[in-house]
Amino acid sequence: METLLNFARGPLFRLCFALMVLGLIRILFLDVWAALKAFRKTDDKRMPWKLIFSRTWEWIFPFKRLKNNFQLYSVISILFHIGLIIVPIFLFAHIQLWKESVGISWISLSYSWAFWLTTGTIIFAVSMFIGRLVIKQTKLLSRKQDYLWLLLLLIPFVTGFVCANLTVSPATYHFFMLVHMLSGELIFVLIPFSKIAHCVLAPLSQVISVLAWKFPPMTDDDICTTLNKKGAKV
Amino acid sequence: MRTNQINNEERIKAFKTAKKSEVIERQKLNVRYHVEDFDVNDRPRRFLEAFAAILKHSNYRMALDHYSRVAARCSHCATTCQIYQATGNTEDIPCHRSELLLDVYRRHFTLGGMFKGRISSSGYLTDEKIQEMAEAYWNCTACRRCVLECPMGIDHGLITHLARYILSEIGIVPRALVISTREQLEGASRNTSAVPVPALKDTLEFLEDDMFEEKSVKIKFPLDVKESEFVFFPAVSDFLMEAETLMGIAAVFAATGDKWTIGTGYFDGINYGLFYSDRILERVIHNVDDETKRLNGDKILIGECGHASRTAKNFMPVFCGGKEATPVVSILEYTHKAWKEGRLKLNPEVITQKVAYHDPCNFARNRWIVNQPREVLKSFCKNYVEMTPTGENNICCGGGGGTVSIDEIRPYRTTVGGKLKADQIRKSGCDILVAPCANCKKQLRELVEDQGINCQIVGLHDLIYKAIVFDESLVVKKEKNPTGKEEN
Repeated sequence: METLLNFARGPLFRLCFALMVLGLIRILFLDVWAALKAFRKTDDKRMPWKLIFSRTWEWIFPFKRLKNNFQLYSVISILFHIGLIIVPIFLFAHIQLWKESVGISWISLSYSWAFWLTTGTIIFAVSMFIGRLVIKQTKLLSRKQDYLWLLLLLIPFVTGFVCANLTVSPATYHFFMLVHMLSGELIFVLIPFSKIAHCVLAPLSQVISVLAWKFPPMTDDDICTTLNKKGAKV
Repeated sequence: MRTNQINNEERIKAFKTAKKSEVIERQKLNVRYHVEDFDVNDRPRRFLEAFAAILKHSNYRMALDHYSRVAARCSHCATTCQIYQATGNTEDIPCHRSELLLDVYRRHFTLGGMFKGRISSSGYLTDEKIQEMAEAYWNCTACRRCVLECPMGIDHGLITHLARYILSEIGIVPRALVISTREQLEGASRNTSAVPVPALKDTLEFLEDDMFEEKSVKIKFPLDVKESEFVFFPAVSDFLMEAETLMGIAAVFAATGDKWTIGTGYFDGINYGLFYSDRILERVIHNVDDETKRLNGDKILIGECGHASRTAKNFMPVFCGGKEATPVVSILEYTHKAWKEGRLKLNPEVITQKVAYHDPCNFARNRWIVNQPREVLKSFCKNYVEMTPTGENNICCGGGGGTVSIDEIRPYRTTVGGKLKADQIRKSGCDILVAPCANCKKQLRELVEDQGINCQIVGLHDLIYKAIVFDESLVVKKEKNPTGKEEN
């Protein structure tokens, strides 16, 4: 078990983390490259930056959305994301691992903050899962991956919570720790290939949408030629 | 959450198909709008060919790739979609609608999708899916309110636009729009309402006489005046239906003294390309540009029309030379500027009724024109009330995205599309609703009529025309002749 844990903590973690980073860089690059290509193709180089920044800001801090009539779902979703981002990055135990392996560290969460944020994230993830099951319109739209992602994200939080807060036998502890690490690593690998890619792509949504409306000029001829419609009436 | 659903009786009326059964049989398309006869053979293949050609010569692939990657299917958009709010049909949720096209894109135009589809031998585009798209994308009013709500920033309006574009390339497009566009681009009149130039001249002369009678000011509609500051393109239907709006605009120019003109070569601001085809969109924009250049005008001035203003403002630089393109000004911006500079005097005693302002989506959704008309209105309408929500969050009139021109779907527009708007108007209790958009005005008039709301729908310049105060130097003194009648 010890060997397995060390493997999961060491080489496997490094591999999965690298895959996630490289995967995210790849899709980010593809997105930015496509945006630059579109920008080059259009004659209209004006960009409504004020609108783009203000709407992107509203995405990062979506408090405006709390005004709508989907409030509970919105509040839960926002709180869930807060826990999801803060806990893995600022947990003392995680920072210690970084310090030991790479020699870098940063400010960490206090025990009580970590406890409440983890508890909250678990509760909110379960609530969102139930929400997807019971809200009519969300249920209709949900794919398998939308449910599975919530369950998968729950695993490292629940196992981490058990390891940090409950008194269990060493064997159980090691088992939970292994599941904790493997599930986290699985998440890392899947992020670039799934909807969770929005963690790096969503800030670009506004720019992409603005650029998409800037159609390249003189496409009429090209499209008509391709479709054998040259000279066809309206 | 769904508080405004229509009842069963309304539902049956709103969703009644517009065609006789034999036509449906022949066209294999069961929708509520008339479509010209089209080739029904091999539609999925032709749809995919059109999709591929459009992807090849456009920037849509970038957006579709991005949206496919980030779509979270959270259904937040359902909270703002007025169509879904009225029908309660989950098929009307914007995200669900967008997924119809995104699914086709993923399956047929991405490596992963093609691989997955081949392995599982599923996901092929079928006639049924095309039928579903033909219905769904013309249910949407393309108001883009859902865009504000989507946590991922997906522009469902763009996807609706693209889907309609592809459908139009295989012949699925409302006949009403095609006929108008055909007349505009290939007909003798060169405008969507088929108004010939002599009729235009007669109308304008008649309006000039009317204005002189009412205001004692010689107000002109200048025709073909070269080197004017503004070349004016209203929605051409204004010449037939919105005389007071046009008189108000002419009156504003009479007060400011700025040089403007209407070109007889081309005088239609309407651009249905925005609703269904980029190719049409570009051709119409070029017509506007050519006429402005023929008259050597400095700026393009668009009348009270949301989509005409947005298309000119956004697509003139896109299709006509970027920075070098002729600047576009909306009449709302022009009038606001003139009022702010003190060149426009409005009598606050004339309009005493309760007045509210409706934000056309094409002005407000991107925060382009929101406060300007309100400031002008508040300056002379003592009893101004605000509707909620408003500005960029406004509720669409229910006839957006070109649907207002499709007369056979009027029951749909006034029971489903405009349901939320009707409730909003009722709640505001306004006597006059100002809607500075030709499409919104038509839809709102039909809406208040069908829903039994006692409210008058007007343009901004209709009220300005009533309240405008001219400088003494412009007013022609009328002398009484011996018979007692006034003469100038």
